[in-house]
Amino acid sequence: MRGKVRKLSPPSERQATGGRMQVPLRPEIDTGTGATSGERARAMIEIASVSKRFETSGRKSHLALSDINLTVNDGAFVSILGPSGCGKSTLLYIVGGFVAPSEGVARMKGAAITGPGPDRGPVFQEFALFPWKTVLGNVMYGLRQQGVKRTEAEAQSLRLIEMVGLKGFEHFYPKELSGGMKQRVAIARTLAYRPSVLLMDEPFGALDAHTRTRLQNDLLNIWERDRKTVLFVTHSVEEAVFLSDKVVVMTRAPGRIKQIVDIDLPRPRIRAELLLDSHYQKYVVDIERMIDDGRDDAEHS
Amino acid sequence: MSTRRLTTVLMGALPILFVLAIWQALCSFGYAPPSLLPPPGKVFLRLAQQLGNVGFLDDILATLIRLFAGFLIAVVLGVGIGLAAAVVPAINAVVRPLVQVLAPLPKVALYPALIILFGFDHASKITLVTLDALFPILLSTYYGASMVEQKLVWSALAAGTPRWQILFKVIAPAALPSILTGCRIGLVISCIVVFLAEMISSTDGLGHLLVGAARTFQTVDMFVPLITISLLGLMLNGLLYGLRKYLLRGFPEV
Repeated sequence: MRGKVRKLSPPSERQATGGRMQVPLRPEIDTGTGATSGERARAMIEIASVSKRFETSGRKSHLALSDINLTVNDGAFVSILGPSGCGKSTLLYIVGGFVAPSEGVARMKGAAITGPGPDRGPVFQEFALFPWKTVLGNVMYGLRQQGVKRTEAEAQSLRLIEMVGLKGFEHFYPKELSGGMKQRVAIARTLAYRPSVLLMDEPFGALDAHTRTRLQNDLLNIWERDRKTVLFVTHSVEEAVFLSDKVVVMTRAPGRIKQIVDIDLPRPRIRAELLLDSHYQKYVVDIERMIDDGRDDAEHS
Repeated sequence: MSTRRLTTVLMGALPILFVLAIWQALCSFGYAPPSLLPPPGKVFLRLAQQLGNVGFLDDILATLIRLFAGFLIAVVLGVGIGLAAAVVPAINAVVRPLVQVLAPLPKVALYPALIILFGFDHASKITLVTLDALFPILLSTYYGASMVEQKLVWSALAAGTPRWQILFKVIAPAALPSILTGCRIGLVISCIVVFLAEMISSTDGLGHLLVGAARTFQTVDMFVPLITISLLGLMLNGLLYGLRKYLLRGFPEV
């Protein structure tokens, strides 16, 4: 059973996991277009001078993102943290290719992003499962779109469903599942077509605290196996620190990057140990303070 | 589960029985002379006799052919145009004013023109049924397809679905609850309109039977087609309900 599950990640990546723990503890903050070719080789996503302006009613427009520069390295778990309305989801949608930036460019493996593609798999807070398909049908969807034969797609999907802990629910419809189970299906559906990057938009925001904790742990376990690049949007400081290599703290509208914090905590991370760890606690407190400062600024102005 | 279903069916039958009881009471207590309002028992007995009559069955068949043909054409056109308008802004720009002008028009007013164009036979009645059933189906398809959650489309695009396939793979299935609601309204309208068309001018069909009986004061025969069309409507609605339940088995209760 375990062997089957392991098959999901290519052996080369699995072997690499051991040595990758010390990888970029202090990754370079790319300040824009000046990335050297050496950096670009490891960069998975580059966001260069991106702004996004939404046209609202009349002649008014709303500046959601202002001059964002960010580089996400291959295999990194990066969280974008900020108050609601800071444009953090918009930034994720720009990387997903669902929304076009008003200025600047987002690149994936060096190529400008012009639209959605199976190299970037989204997971939404609202799950966005296809209600007319069963759990199996949802998970198979991407594989079938990639031209994988039905029997093969089914076999792979069943393994993934087992991996996310939903064995026995293959033929249930999403409406028959709890919120946590729905999000597990959504994660499996996205993992199925093997994106290079996972784009997670407050994926656990609609779940109760207990389910949320369990899914965070499970996500980390899955991530430890193949170390996909993850861009994770959240407004929970603890969640961001617990999961990430790097936390991008954003300011209130217009969304700017306030600070990028490298989370120098060992992996694999065990929740029970981490909560007692003074380094973890300091990260949480520091970042919370950072966000509070931002709030004061906004109130004074 | 099945006992609960039984109670729902029984609960639904109660008001119908109540109407029949009032009908019977009007006759029994002499409020309505039997020559004008025949008792329900007599009408249902007559209906049972007529069901063995080939001529009567031919009339039912004629009505059903018109009803189905008109309704199905309306479904194809309504769903097709509704989806196209929801997805292609240019089509929407053309369709929207047309719908706004044509939807409130009493289609039955076109019937004389349709008879001149298509004659007294099936074609004119089928066209009228289509015209009347079309708009509710078109409008609910359009709104259903316009309201499809953006993130369903994004999820499909990210999974590698080509943009041109999104209509069939995401938008149409996601809009299915609204489409079927429109179909249900369209079906009821079809039942009404086919009968109406046959009453206005026809040589066969249930509506024609009613008008013929009314002209000769055969009141029992007058009520038989009326009861028949409402029973047909009930059965067709039941069929559509079953189909809806099957097709929407994954959707939250609507």
